[in-house]
Amino acid sequence: MGLEIVNDVRTDYVCDLVRNGKREDGRGFREYRDISVERDVIKRAEGSARVKIGDTEVLVGVKVELGTPFPDTPDKGVIITNAELVPLASPEFESGPPNENSIQLARVVDRGIRGSETIDLDKLCIEEGEKVWMVFIDIHVLDDNGNMVDAAALGAITSLLNLRIPNERYGLTGENTLPMRDTPVAVTMVEIEGNILVDPSFDEGNAAASSVTVISNADGTLSGMQKSGSGGLKEAQIAEMVEIGIEKAGEIRGKYL
Amino acid sequence: MYQVVVPGDFLSEETKRAGEGTYVEEGKVYASQYGIVSERGEIKVVPLSGKYMPSNGDVVIGKITEISFPFWIVDLASPYEARLHVSALSGIARDKIEFGNMSEYLNVDDLVVVKVMDVNVLMKIELALQEDFELRRGGRLIEIAHTKVPRVIGRSGSMIKMLKEKCNCFIFIAKNGRIWIRGKEEDMDLASTVILKIARESHTSGLTDRVAEFLDSFRKEKERDL
Amino acid sequence: MKEEIELIKDGKRLDGRGFDELRPIKIEVGVLKRADGSCYLELGDNKVIAAVYGPREMHPRHAQDAKMAVVKFRYNMAPFSTDDRKRPGPDRRSVEISKVCREAFDPVIMRELYPKMGIEVYVELLQSDAGTRTAGINAASIALADAGIPMKDLVSSIAVGKINGEVVLDLNAAEDNNGEADMPIAMIARTNTITALQMDGRMTQEEFGRGMKLAMGACHQIYELQRTALVTRYNQNYESKSKGGEE
Repeated sequence: MGLEIVNDVRTDYVCDLVRNGKREDGRGFREYRDISVERDVIKRAEGSARVKIGDTEVLVGVKVELGTPFPDTPDKGVIITNAELVPLASPEFESGPPNENSIQLARVVDRGIRGSETIDLDKLCIEEGEKVWMVFIDIHVLDDNGNMVDAAALGAITSLLNLRIPNERYGLTGENTLPMRDTPVAVTMVEIEGNILVDPSFDEGNAAASSVTVISNADGTLSGMQKSGSGGLKEAQIAEMVEIGIEKAGEIRGKYL
Repeated sequence: MYQVVVPGDFLSEETKRAGEGTYVEEGKVYASQYGIVSERGEIKVVPLSGKYMPSNGDVVIGKITEISFPFWIVDLASPYEARLHVSALSGIARDKIEFGNMSEYLNVDDLVVVKVMDVNVLMKIELALQEDFELRRGGRLIEIAHTKVPRVIGRSGSMIKMLKEKCNCFIFIAKNGRIWIRGKEEDMDLASTVILKIARESHTSGLTDRVAEFLDSFRKEKERDL
Repeated sequence: MKEEIELIKDGKRLDGRGFDELRPIKIEVGVLKRADGSCYLELGDNKVIAAVYGPREMHPRHAQDAKMAVVKFRYNMAPFSTDDRKRPGPDRRSVEISKVCREAFDPVIMRELYPKMGIEVYVELLQSDAGTRTAGINAASIALADAGIPMKDLVSSIAVGKINGEVVLDLNAAEDNNGEADMPIAMIARTNTITALQMDGRMTQEEFGRGMKLAMGACHQIYELQRTALVTRYNQNYESKSKGGEE
């Protein structure tokens, strides 16, 4: 109950600020918080990254194992993306099986990677119908201060770009790095009082009725989109968000990937 | 000729007349219910379906579900429960009604005729007892959707008048779709059958005539049998 | 690189449709006895039933909202609905779709009118052929109206996609499986407000814009079908009904 009252007060505060062209932390509407990306932070993972956007912190670990392909795609490797909103990351996260939020997070990140055909799954096939590389992307949210999606997606792509395929472990020879075709970057925006804000903080995320994540590639094509939340948006707002999403993705790609 | 509308249908620009089943947005009145528009006085949409929502002044038949001193908890065939305070029976009760003896006056599963006195924002509903609140034995309760009640009553009470006469029963129709009938067994059977028929065919035209025919032919058959 | 399967021949799709054509839609209102509201809908080979229960008491108690009704939406595929039997029970895809569908209705359901109550929407896919969530949303809109749930508008939904480089409307399964992109949307026809949007695959910004317009236009068509189904549901003229229960 106490949390609700506090949320209402914060929401009003955020909306007031936005009406006056401001944000809590003084950012411009199109500005990201400070981003930091650290690679190879987990030795035991074949790829990993620790991403911070403002105070939001996400750790992504990628494990690569030998496995059997899915029956309907015998000549393709497998990517499986999972996200854990672990209880230590927020007073609102509970332990237990994945809830709709963690499932949505994982699937959106996965969509971006799959959609852009970033990873050529054919190249992950070792023996058709028998042996393929399975790439497990595991997203571990450590601190939820808003916009976990962008941090998770950035962590995922960074991990993949620096992946070591563990050939020696299985006595195989082959490429040690993952052949990547493009670098999808997710940009999440919210709509508050008719304004579009990039990289919502925790309070901004709660105050906003809708949020949209736009995932785009280096060549300017879109490889995923997801609207979330209880509000409605106009076509023009969505078109603007796509425009902004592609632009900001380019900036992030340039600086961090 | 009445108009069926769906949520979002534009009704009028006279926002001052907007009533139940509508909402106002940017100076226009829209339907918020799937139902029939009524424009006498207020602009309303009478829903074709939906749960009974108590409002002040409604006279309904309730069923006691729980005893929770100093209240009886009453089911009104609505998503929300209502409560009846022990003081409602003062003047009728011989002794003081206390925690231990509430069930002597009204017990779980008893049917009572009540009036909705107050519905507050949190949907707490307070009731009062009507005179003749007890529904005595020898009667029967039927439940229909509350949206069909106007049909069973008929224009200016024409339908229910016909039912009472031709079925020879006491019939009390409450706003929440509960109907109490009392009479001889076979008369109550007839009344039940007809009421359920009306509820089923409520959307059709010529219903009043068809019901009259049904009742008459039933009577004729009975006379032939005798 | 994926071999391109020919999905377009001589400017027409394999099922004979043009690029901007919907599959045939069939709607039946109020098909279930126990549910408060229901709708059976077919979109091409998709067969879906939507049912609504509520407003009714919400369990568990601690999940109640003192100020408004809580809406639950469960999208589920029957095991026999797909080519390969789908194991019963929610999977990750169904959980995500349920969330997206529930949020598609958040802007229209007038939840404040039923504090502490629950409104449950169940969508069961009996036979699937791509576009299942859009069929589900269309059916759920009607089921909600049929249940007498107060709403500001109906919600309509359809998907657009990209096959063989062309932006087309309402993909069937063959097109979805072999296509380059799939983009379901949900919309309030009256105000052209988008309440759900997802995109999967690869599209240029321009294709996205074109796809949106195509989808929004189709939603208007679907809205007309939804409205007609509700209005003509009893298929007869209404006799003048007594207003307000005169005793």
